[in-house]
Amino acid sequence: MADSLRSRLPTLLGHPVTIALVVSFGFGGVVIALTGGDPLTAFSEMLTGGFSGNGLRNTLGRSIPIVGMALAFSIAFRAGILNLGGEGQMLLGALTGTMLAITLPGPGVVVVPVAVLGGAVVGAAWGLLPALGQTRLRVPLLITSLLLNYVARAVTSYLVRYPFGEPGAAFASTAAVPETARIPRFEILGSGRISISFLFMLGIVVAAAIAYRRTVFGYETGMMGLSGPFARFGGVDVDRHALVTMALSGGVGGLVGTHLVVGETYRYIDADMIAQAGFAWTGLMVALLAFNRPIPILVAGIFFAGLQIGGFAMERATDVSWQLAQVIQALVIVAVVSRFSVGRKRLRNLEKEEAVAEAEASHVGEV
Amino acid sequence: MTAELELRGITKRFPGVLACDGIDLEAYPGEIHCIVGENGAGKTTLMSILYGLHRPDEGDIRIRGEEVRIDSPLRAIGLGLGMVHQAFKLFPSLSVAENVIFRQEPSRWGRIDRKRASAVVSELAASYGLAVDPDARVEDLPVGVLQRVEILKALYRDASILILDEPTAVLTPQERDRLFEVMRRLRDSGRTILFITHKLPEVMAVADRITVLRGGRAVARLDPATTTPEEISRHMTGRDVVVIRADGSRSEGRPILEVQDLHVAGAHGVAAVAGVSFDVRAGEVVGIAAVAGNGQSELVEAIAGLRPIESGVIRLTGTDITRASVSDRRRAGMSYIPEDRHRVGTAATASVAENMLMGYQRDPALRRGRFLSTEAVDTHAKELSDRYDIRLSGVEVAAGTLSGGNLQRVVLAREMGHEAPLILAEQPTRGVDIGAIEFIHTQLLAARDRGAAILLVSAELSEIQALSNRILVMFEGRIVAELDPASVDEAEIGLHMTGVGGG
Repeated sequence: MADSLRSRLPTLLGHPVTIALVVSFGFGGVVIALTGGDPLTAFSEMLTGGFSGNGLRNTLGRSIPIVGMALAFSIAFRAGILNLGGEGQMLLGALTGTMLAITLPGPGVVVVPVAVLGGAVVGAAWGLLPALGQTRLRVPLLITSLLLNYVARAVTSYLVRYPFGEPGAAFASTAAVPETARIPRFEILGSGRISISFLFMLGIVVAAAIAYRRTVFGYETGMMGLSGPFARFGGVDVDRHALVTMALSGGVGGLVGTHLVVGETYRYIDADMIAQAGFAWTGLMVALLAFNRPIPILVAGIFFAGLQIGGFAMERATDVSWQLAQVIQALVIVAVVSRFSVGRKRLRNLEKEEAVAEAEASHVGEV
Repeated sequence: MTAELELRGITKRFPGVLACDGIDLEAYPGEIHCIVGENGAGKTTLMSILYGLHRPDEGDIRIRGEEVRIDSPLRAIGLGLGMVHQAFKLFPSLSVAENVIFRQEPSRWGRIDRKRASAVVSELAASYGLAVDPDARVEDLPVGVLQRVEILKALYRDASILILDEPTAVLTPQERDRLFEVMRRLRDSGRTILFITHKLPEVMAVADRITVLRGGRAVARLDPATTTPEEISRHMTGRDVVVIRADGSRSEGRPILEVQDLHVAGAHGVAAVAGVSFDVRAGEVVGIAAVAGNGQSELVEAIAGLRPIESGVIRLTGTDITRASVSDRRRAGMSYIPEDRHRVGTAATASVAENMLMGYQRDPALRRGRFLSTEAVDTHAKELSDRYDIRLSGVEVAAGTLSGGNLQRVVLAREMGHEAPLILAEQPTRGVDIGAIEFIHTQLLAARDRGAAILLVSAELSEIQALSNRILVMFEGRIVAELDPASVDEAEIGLHMTGVGGG
């Protein structure tokens, strides 16, 4: 199993990614040049802005929700379950964590863990809901998990406006989390202070890497994702695993949400959180890019965070819009994913290749 | 006489493989030309080239004396080639008639004339003795009927050169004989039929000319009047093949699998299995013979725990497993070689080691503390591949890169390597080459001899007859006959399979 991972790693860290980066930045450079800018200046601003000094701190900070949501997505997606409800799991987890941090009495060492745990539990419960629908009622999880995002948005908006809202505030928001109940920060690499959620996230990445490769649960869910019928045939309880992976996936989403408020902004601001929910989708892209593998998710997540932070720096220093960073992100994904499908094809042996060619051709030609 | 089809020096290389190595072939109007060879001999590649799915690296193709370039299946169809594929290429949600007429629809005022389509198709079906309801939806049909639809599709297009890629696998002997009649009728009308098969009795029955492929070369051109099956198989394999046959003696072992009055629901409220009772004893092979779609797949899936049952009792070594989960059944001593080894029996993108681990992932021997031991998992896979002669560059390669025969050995190794008392073997040799068939049969019989109970489901009557101690014939979800393989012939089994066996 280790060997198989090692043999796949070059596909990931080796030339396909390099090619993808060259192609994406090359294309981005052409666009900048066409609009009369200087690509080299723009890119150097982007890289220094995203990966040095204060920018690095910002990048690592921003990587927490991106890597977190990518992990959340990958936990389910590895098992073949498309959890599109990351947004909702995150929002409800965030609000739960926030309210626990605000209302619970006691010292921070007790309040913060309870708040974080509460956020995770509610996120997990929200993830379990569509999973129960799928395993018990055969309602497709893909759809319900997505639609539940809107429910979560509406519920959190309502709660923040009325029962939990701070009276007299200019915009819908909770009160501030008291200083004692905030997730602590620490100095990182001499470039500023960052939430200890970052270390927590690293821990989850490592735990996931071990669990995926070395536990029965990791093996069984992985096989579920590669072939559901095969897993069922081998005695894997696919329904139970679907519930557990969705709970874990939603739970991580809830953790990320709680971090965003209790570790960053200290106030649950409705409009702000709905904007931050976009991290669920960036995370999804990162998970796709890293083929659900935890360490590559970490690398890709930090890289994407750096592109975004660097994009803002680039916009400040040059005339190039920060949205170019998003264009490059999208190009990287397209390049890597298309490269992957080409590589896959080469893997197949003669017989397989023929079958595929035949199937493809028959749709065009035959019949 | 000009050859209808002439291939000269066809060569095709794939990375690392020379699939076709200068193959010459001539087929004339009004002949049934059999192309025989093991898997990997180049049959499929050659036919893919002919059908425009691959371009040859070297060589020419002539049709009716004219050199042609076949660069797409559409071009092939335009040149009068028709292909009945081994894997079905049908639209599941459309009716039989709609599938058959696709791209050549009879129309009235620009709309598809469904009534006429249905009439034309049912007439066509009737004239060739292929019983098909033209209005049935394809997804509701059993495999055996799908095959007939495929054949109808090619017949509807009135191809002058018809390629049949192992078309008889899912037919009863009677249906097969009817197909042969169809083929002879088509031949007599001046068409050319390329019949790809590895079943030598079929070759002897219909061939006008035989070309044997081995290792990408045409190694022999034979005339059925002057050759023997032994000679053909020698050319196919390059050696003499031992024909395996069970002794047929009745086992007196204790019952391992007991099935009592089992009912399993099928599609549309029709029972797929309607009250089946039987047992399989230690040290015997019980063969289930049935035309595809008569409940045998549902029966096996129900026993394996993959399909819910309506009523009945299943016991394994005396323990009631009727409601047990798949993993409990496996723990109680069941192993299962499923019909669909690509989708169910393996995960194509997982490594061989991961594939071999399935079902044993909770085995303490493969652990180190709380975690799976990578070394133990790899060693386990290596041992199994050595024991079952699986040729691999390493256990980390993806299972999907293995040939059909090797992949089936992976399944076999995993399912038989742990000496479970009950083995469910479903189509264990479908689509694998003669060498692998021989190996699989030997392994099954060895398992029987060490006392395993084996339930064998196969569409190959010769396989059922060769391996079984008892034969149960299923028809429309019931067991309609129990036969002694020593005292019945194929024709009699076939009659029972179509429900007309009587008593």
